[in-house]
Amino acid sequence: MKLLTKLTLFITFSKLIIVLLFVLSLPFLVEQIASEYTNNYLVQQKQKVLDVIEKNGIDYYLQGSDSYGSYTLLKEEYIALEAIDEDFKIDTIENSQRIIEADTLNYRLLMHSFKTNNQEYLLEIGKSTATISQYNKPLQRIASYVLIALIILTLITDLVFTRFLLQPLGKIIKSKLLNRKFPFRDNIPPVKTSTSDFKYLDNSLIALMEQIHDAFEKEREFTANASHELMTPISILQNKIENLMDDSQLDELLQERLVDMQRTLNRLKKIVRSLLLISRIENAQFARLETYNVKELLNSVEEEISHRMEERNIQFDIEVDASTNWQNINKDLIFQLIYNLVNNAIKYNKDNGKIIIRESRGNPYQLTIEDTGIGIAEEDIAAIFNRFRKVGGGETTGYGLGLSIVKSIADYHQIQISAFSDPGVCTRFTLIFPENIISIKN
Amino acid sequence: MKVLIIEDEKTLAFEVEAFLKKAFYLCELAHNGKKALEMLDLNLYDFILLDLGLPDTDGLILLEKAKKLNPDAAYVILTARGNIEDRIKGLDLGADDYLPKPFSLPELQSRMQAIARRKFGIKNESIPIGEFEIDLQKRTVSNANNEVELTRKEFDLLSYMLLHKNRVLSRMQLSEHIWGSFSDDDCDSNYIDVHIKNIRKKLGRFAAVDWLETVRGVGYKIKKQT
Repeated sequence: MKLLTKLTLFITFSKLIIVLLFVLSLPFLVEQIASEYTNNYLVQQKQKVLDVIEKNGIDYYLQGSDSYGSYTLLKEEYIALEAIDEDFKIDTIENSQRIIEADTLNYRLLMHSFKTNNQEYLLEIGKSTATISQYNKPLQRIASYVLIALIILTLITDLVFTRFLLQPLGKIIKSKLLNRKFPFRDNIPPVKTSTSDFKYLDNSLIALMEQIHDAFEKEREFTANASHELMTPISILQNKIENLMDDSQLDELLQERLVDMQRTLNRLKKIVRSLLLISRIENAQFARLETYNVKELLNSVEEEISHRMEERNIQFDIEVDASTNWQNINKDLIFQLIYNLVNNAIKYNKDNGKIIIRESRGNPYQLTIEDTGIGIAEEDIAAIFNRFRKVGGGETTGYGLGLSIVKSIADYHQIQISAFSDPGVCTRFTLIFPENIISIKN
Repeated sequence: MKVLIIEDEKTLAFEVEAFLKKAFYLCELAHNGKKALEMLDLNLYDFILLDLGLPDTDGLILLEKAKKLNPDAAYVILTARGNIEDRIKGLDLGADDYLPKPFSLPELQSRMQAIARRKFGIKNESIPIGEFEIDLQKRTVSNANNEVELTRKEFDLLSYMLLHKNRVLSRMQLSEHIWGSFSDDDCDSNYIDVHIKNIRKKLGRFAAVDWLETVRGVGYKIKKQT
C-alpha cells in the first residue's frame, strides 16, 4: 500500500473515532452543562432574594402572612417562602416534584433555610426540568453539524498537506533511481525539500550512486589501462615470434611450435582487444552520427562472413526492406553488433541450417536474427551477455566476449536486446530500437 | 628505401628493424620525440613509422612537425592507443596508414609496399612467378595471354604471399590479412586452405604451381625460384 494511502486511511479513521466518541458523549455533556447552568442560576436567584430580605426586611415578601409564593405564567419557575420550625435546617439543590394548581411538575429545586427576626424561614426556588433540557436537542444537532464540517475541512487540508509533504519522496525516487541509466554518469541535483528525512534519503542515494559510478569508473579505467599496457608486450612477443619464424635455420618441428605460440598469443590479443573495445564503448568514445542502410549493412556482413556459411551450407535470408535506414548510430559498432550475432548464428547452427534476419516495422521497430541451431539451455539464457561466459558446451570456440560486445553496443545505442531459444530448434535474438534511430526513406 | 622508426619501446623497434632489414629497407631508430626531430632535421626518409605514445612528445604533434621537415615521406602510425579519434586525427594530419598494436610484421611490410606503390608510383607492377605474371595494379594474374580469374580474396592472398616470397606465412597471419580484426583463427584457418586449394586449381589449369608450397603444420610459402 502507498504511504499516502496509509496516512490518509489512518487520518480518516482516527478522526472518525474521535468524532464518534464525541457525538456519543454529547448528550451527557450537554445535560451536564445545562444542569450546572441551572444550579448557578438558582443560587444567583437565592442570593437576590436574600439581598432583598436583608435590605427591606422579610415583610417585603410576606406582608404579614406567614408564607409567600409566586410562579411564572407557565409554571416554569416558582419561588416560595414560608416560616418553619426552629430545628429544620436545609441547604440543597435537587430534583423534586411539586403540585402547583393541581399540576404535578418536575422541578430542579433549591431549598435554603435561613433565620431572620428570630424566625426560621425556608426559601424554595424551582425551575422546571422541561425548560432545562429544552435546548439540549438543537444544541446537540448544531454541535454535530459543526463538528462534521470541521472534520471534513481538516481531512481535506490533511490530505492536501500530506500529498504536498510526500511529494519529494516521489521526486527523489524518480530522479535518483528510476530515470537513471547505469553507470549513473550524469550528476543530478538534490531534490528541493525542507524535510530533513527526505534530504537524508536524497543525499544517501546521491552518495550511493556516486559510489557505484566511481567503482564502475575504476573498473573501466583498469580495463582500459590494463588492456593498453598489455598490448605493448603482446606486440613485442608477436613480432619476435614472426622474426623467429623467418629464420631459415629452423626445422619443421620448431616452426610448428612457433605457430602454436602464435595461436595462443592471438587468442590473448583478441581478448585484450575485445576488453578494450567494450571499455571504449562504455566510455562513450564513439560518435553516433552516421546513417546506415540496413539492407546494405546486412549485405556487407554477409559478404564478410559468407565463406563460413558456404562451408556449412547455411542459408541466409534477409527479409528487410531496402528503404530502412538506421540513423544516429556508429557504423563500425553496428556492423560489429550484427556481425557478432550472425557469426554466432553460424557457429551454433547445424549444417544445412538457416539464418533469418527479419524486420518488423511496428512501434517499436524490431529486428530479429533467428537461426536453426543447437539453441541455448533455458538456465543459460540469462547469462549469455556476461563476459567470459561460454554457452553451448565447452567444445565450441569463442571466449565469451562476442555477446558482451553486442550488449555493450546495443546499450550504447539504447537498443534493447533479448534472446529466446528453443534448445535444438532455434535461437532468436530480438533488437528493439528507439524511435530516433529508425528512418524510412524511399 | 630509408625508414625512420620512432618507437620508445626499444625491443619492439629492434624487431621491426630486423624484419624490415631482410626486405632491404634501411632503418634508423629514434626512441623519443626529441631525437626523432633531430634526425628528421638532418635526413630525408622514405618511410616514417611513428608510435603515438612517446614519453616526451604527443605523437600527433610530432607528426605535424615531422611533416614540415620531411613532407614527402610516407607516414605510418603505430599505436597501442588505437582509439578512433586518434586514427581520424592522424589520417587528417596526413598519415598514410594506421596500424594498431599489436600488428603483424608481414602486414606492416605489405602496407608499406601498398603505400610505396600508391605514393611513389613504383611502376614495376608485373611480377613474374612460375609461368605466371601478376599485375598488382590491375589486380590480374595471367599465363601467356590467358587471364586467370581469381576472386578478390584469392588475389589478396596470392599477392600477399608473393610479397613475402620465401617466407613461411602461417594460416593465422594469412587470415588476419584477409579478414582483419574479424578473423577468427580457429575457424578461419580452414578457409585459408580452401582458398589456397582454389588458387592452385585455377592456376593449375594453365601451368604448374609447384612454387606455392604447403609447410606442414605451419602454413604456406612461395618458393624463391632459382
